[in-house]
Amino acid sequence: MELFLQRLVDGLSEGSIYALIALGLVIIFRGTGHLNFAQGEMALFCAYCVYQFGEWGIPMIPALLMGMVIGFFIGALTEVALVRPVSKRSPFAVFIVTIGVFQFLNWLDSAIWGGQQLPSSAIGSKQRTYPSLFPNDPDDFVTVFGAAIKISSLCIFCMVLVITALLFVVFNYTKLGLAMRAVASNADSAKLVGIKVSQVLMVSWGIAAAIGALGGVAFAGIITTVNTGLMFTVFLYGSAAATLGGFDSPGGAVIGGLTIGVVQNMVAGYADEWVGTSMKVAVSFLVILVVLLVRPSGLFGTAKVERV
Amino acid sequence: MTLLQVRGLKAGYGPLKVLEGIDLEVGEGEIVVMLGANGAGKTTTLRALSGVIPRTGTVEFAGADISKASPESIVRSGVAQVPQGRGTFPELSVDDNMHAGAYPRRDSSAAIKTDIGKWYDVFPRLADRRHQRAGSLSGGEQQMLAIARALMSRPTLLLCDEPSLGLAPLITQELFKVLERLNKEEGLAVLLVEQNANLAMHIASRVYLLETGRIVASGSAAELSADDSIRKAYLGF
Repeated sequence: MELFLQRLVDGLSEGSIYALIALGLVIIFRGTGHLNFAQGEMALFCAYCVYQFGEWGIPMIPALLMGMVIGFFIGALTEVALVRPVSKRSPFAVFIVTIGVFQFLNWLDSAIWGGQQLPSSAIGSKQRTYPSLFPNDPDDFVTVFGAAIKISSLCIFCMVLVITALLFVVFNYTKLGLAMRAVASNADSAKLVGIKVSQVLMVSWGIAAAIGALGGVAFAGIITTVNTGLMFTVFLYGSAAATLGGFDSPGGAVIGGLTIGVVQNMVAGYADEWVGTSMKVAVSFLVILVVLLVRPSGLFGTAKVERV
Repeated sequence: MTLLQVRGLKAGYGPLKVLEGIDLEVGEGEIVVMLGANGAGKTTTLRALSGVIPRTGTVEFAGADISKASPESIVRSGVAQVPQGRGTFPELSVDDNMHAGAYPRRDSSAAIKTDIGKWYDVFPRLADRRHQRAGSLSGGEQQMLAIARALMSRPTLLLCDEPSLGLAPLITQELFKVLERLNKEEGLAVLLVEQNANLAMHIASRVYLLETGRIVASGSAAELSADDSIRKAYLGF
C-alpha cells in the first residue's frame, strides 16, 4: 500500500510534466492543426535560460517567469516568422519547419552552454543541482498512510492542476479564449466576425511555448540537471499523452499525461521482473494503441461530426 | 443615400481571376439581390467586400474607403457577412456563437446580452437550443444562427451568401421574411446573393445579374422579370 501510494504520486508528478508538454501541443493543434515538433526543445531552451538566470543570482520564481516570457516570445516568433509563411503550402511543410526549429534550438543550446550536463558537479566540492521549483532535498517528505511522498512530486502535480484550471477559465470565460475556440472551430468564419486570426494564432503558440517552458524547468528540477537530450523523451511522452487524450482536448492532454506517468511507474515498480525497465516505454504505447483502436480520436477528443 | 459604392472591383484566388471589374451600389435601407449561376463570382464578390481575399478597385462604405481595410475593421465599420454553407462554429454552443459575433464590439457585456436576447426573440428556435453545439442544429437553424451571429456586430449592411442553399423552400421563405422585417423595422441594408431567383426577387428593391465575373444586367425586380431572356435563364418560366 505504501509503495503503491509512492508510485502513484511519483507517476502523477512525472505525468504532470508530460501533461504540460501535451497541453502546449494541443493548444497549437487546436488552432491550426499543426504538430509542433519543437515543443520539447523550446521548453529545453527556456530551462537552460532559467539555469543561467540562477547562475547570475536571480531567485527561482522571477527566473522561471522570465523563462516563460522567453518561451512565449520564441513560440510567437516561430509562428509569425516561420510557420505562417509556409502554412499556406502544406501542413507537411510546417512539420518540417518545426523539425528545423527543433534542430536549431538544440544546436543553440550546445553552442551556448556546451554539450555536457549542467550544473557540472566537478566544479567545487559541493554537489550542485539544477534549481528545483519546490523543496527537493532528500529529507523533504511527507508521510501519508505510512508512505513517504516527495513534497516536490505533490507540488508539481498540484501546479499542473492549477494551470489546467487556469487554462479552462481562459478558454471558456474570456474573450481571448472565445476567439481561440472560434479560430479552432472555423478560421474562415472567425475572420468574418472580426477576429484577428493571425494574432490569435501567434498568442496560442506563445502560450503553448510558455507552458512548455514551465514543464521543462520542472522536469530539469526533478532530474536535477539539464542537458541537450533532456526533453526528447519527454516530448515523445507528451505527444503520446496528447494522442491518448485527444489532440483537440486540453483536459484530455492532462489526463493522458497523468495516465502515462502512472502506468510507467506502476509497470516499472510491479512488473520490473518480467517487463524490464527498457520495455516500460513499450507498455505505455501499448495502452495508447488499445485506446486508439477503440476510440480513434482519443479518450476525450471530439470526432468531427456535423449535420448538413 | 448610397451606403455601399463599388467601382471596378477585381478579385480572385492567386492566378485565377474571378471578378473582372464589378460596379454596384447598395442604398441605405435597401435590399439588393445579386443573381448568378454557380461560378459566376457571387461568393467571391462578398468575400472581396468583407476583405478576406485580396482585391483591387474602390469600395466605399458610408463615405469611407474600405478597399484596403482589414476584415476586422470592415466588420467594425458596420458590414457583416453571413458566409455560405452556414459557416457557424460547429463545436461552439449557440450562445458562444452569438458572443463570437459580438467580438469586435467594445461596449458592455450587458448590452451584448440584451442584443442576444433580442435576436433570440426573432429566432425563438435558437433560444431553445442556446446551450447546444451549433453543429448539432438542423440546416435551417444553422442558417438562422449564422444570420443572428452576423447581426450581433450591429451592422448597417448585411451581406448574405446564398442563405437558401440546401434549405426547404418553406424555410427559405421564412428566412427571407425575417430579412424583410429587419430591413423594414431596423433599416438594415441587405446585399443578398442568390441562385434561387424566384424567392429572392420578391424582397428585392433592385437586382444585379452576375455572369462570369461581370455584371450583365441591373434594374428593379419588375424590370428584370419583364425581360424575356432573363426570365427564362434565371426564373425558369
